[in-house]
Amino acid sequence: MSAVAVRPPRALSKRGSLRGGASGGWKQIAVNQAFLLPALFVFVFLFVVPLVQTFYWSLTDFTGYSPEANFVGLENYTKILQDPSMLAGLGFTLLFAVGTTVLITVLAIPLTVQLNKVFFGRNFVRSVWFFPAIPSMAILGLVWRYVLSPLESGVLNSVLARFGVEPIGWLSVDSLARLSVIVVGVWAATGWHAVLYTAYLQSIPGEYYEVAKIDGASPRQQFFGITLPLLTPAVVISTFLLMTGGLKVFDLPYTLTNGGPGFATYTITQSIIVSGVGQGRYGLASALAVMFTVAVGILSFSQLALTRYIERRFVWPGRCGAASC
Amino acid sequence: MARPLWRRILLSAVMILLACFIGIPLYYIVVNTFKTQGQMVTSPLAPPTELFLGNFQEVLTDPRMYRSFANTLYVTALSVVLQLVVGALAAFAMIMRTSRLNLLIGNILLIGFIVPGQSTLIPLYRTLVGFKLVNDLNGLVVMYMGGAIFCYFLIQGYMRTLPFEVIEAARLDGAGPFRIFWHIALPLIKPILVTVGVFQTMWVWNDFLIPTVFISSPDKRTVVLQVYNAVSEFTTDWPMFMTVSVVALIPMVIFFVFTQRHIVSGLLAGSVKG
Repeated sequence: MSAVAVRPPRALSKRGSLRGGASGGWKQIAVNQAFLLPALFVFVFLFVVPLVQTFYWSLTDFTGYSPEANFVGLENYTKILQDPSMLAGLGFTLLFAVGTTVLITVLAIPLTVQLNKVFFGRNFVRSVWFFPAIPSMAILGLVWRYVLSPLESGVLNSVLARFGVEPIGWLSVDSLARLSVIVVGVWAATGWHAVLYTAYLQSIPGEYYEVAKIDGASPRQQFFGITLPLLTPAVVISTFLLMTGGLKVFDLPYTLTNGGPGFATYTITQSIIVSGVGQGRYGLASALAVMFTVAVGILSFSQLALTRYIERRFVWPGRCGAASC
Repeated sequence: MARPLWRRILLSAVMILLACFIGIPLYYIVVNTFKTQGQMVTSPLAPPTELFLGNFQEVLTDPRMYRSFANTLYVTALSVVLQLVVGALAAFAMIMRTSRLNLLIGNILLIGFIVPGQSTLIPLYRTLVGFKLVNDLNGLVVMYMGGAIFCYFLIQGYMRTLPFEVIEAARLDGAGPFRIFWHIALPLIKPILVTVGVFQTMWVWNDFLIPTVFISSPDKRTVVLQVYNAVSEFTTDWPMFMTVSVVALIPMVIFFVFTQRHIVSGLLAGSVKG
């Protein structure tokens, strides 16, 4: 500490010459800005350059095998709309994103309300619901592949066989495979989102419910009149996470069905990897990546706008305590 | 709060039944690790009649399993520490100097927060091929460095809530930026470092997308990739595959038990700021 104590006069005089700004001399500013360099390097190298490259390649016929890249305009984009596998990938990814978002939201809110009540075994129930969020989605997908195996020996089918049900092609029939992937996705993420809602639910003051009870509101009225409106900010966040997560989905369909049968559960990400890294069709894959990025970007900014709008409309009790609000 | 007793019992019963239903797949994989193939086919859901440890014996003596754990540990530890360092340094610089330039930089960095990994995958794959970093564990670390931007946002959000006077006092005492960062800022932001660290550890450890694209040789597989490849290896020997899965899950479960609190707070921080 003595080394520190030797220098103060100089630092003090420097500081005295500045008007309340939190900065020292030029040298200090330079050192301070240098702290930003690693992050900027990461940002340029891992985000800016590749994004520009993706955009540029999407307008060329670049294949990766030859260094030539001819400008082809929007040809790649129109090709995507004619490629059956890519269209299937786009379609199923959208279906998965919307399906899981709706189902998880509809399930997680009532689950949260129930989990917030006192009952025997609550911690056990909570842990079981939350557990699938811990391991890798890829491993869970593989496990479910055995559970839902269309063979007679598949777990679900062997259980159903005891009730005299013929083996069902859970993963081998288009519509059932799509449904299976979505159901497993819902199974895996509902508990996680229930925890998210719990935090918001617990910030609703108990007095609201007491007043409502005195006024004779039924539990249903309390849910729709108090709980649901005050959970709106949480709904916005949760659905946003689910939509972006759904659009990015890859692990689960890839391990559960490998995109099949046919292209029934093919995803955008699998499409990008297979056509880009696998087949070297960089132009086409890049065009798909650009469309994907734009979709996620639009979603992100609308969520941002919506959150700000809601923050202005709702005075949210929990967060408006001692901290600035 | 004076709920009738019978309603509480009913709620309890319904919720526990539902949880058991949700937990069946987990029960199923654990139970079958103690069975032989024959036992599994005849009674997939029954508890094992005798404790058969042959599966575990085989998996736990497989050097590839240990290899994949070592690989994952290396990639996870290195990339999470680097992400935190890069993120914390940037957050510190932003807090110390709120100039117009830094505000602009902060807004531009948001791009890195929003852009998903899939969007940059193809060009980065080509670039890493050029640097001979494909099929290399360090290549994975490079790819995961993108998470530093996420770390930056959460850390700087937390830093804004800290009393700035402490740092100001240190500066008046003549401490340089490195000293302030190391001795004052870092200890103060420890809670958020733990939270973000736990969160990023889960991401890197569990990630499948990047290893499956970037790793091809068996000796460089991560745990998740090892499990994925075990499926084709044990197409008929399901109990063996279940055992591989369970062994792969154990470290994450232990990690979860010890960091549960931080995972939940990270979930909230990540979602609220995001």
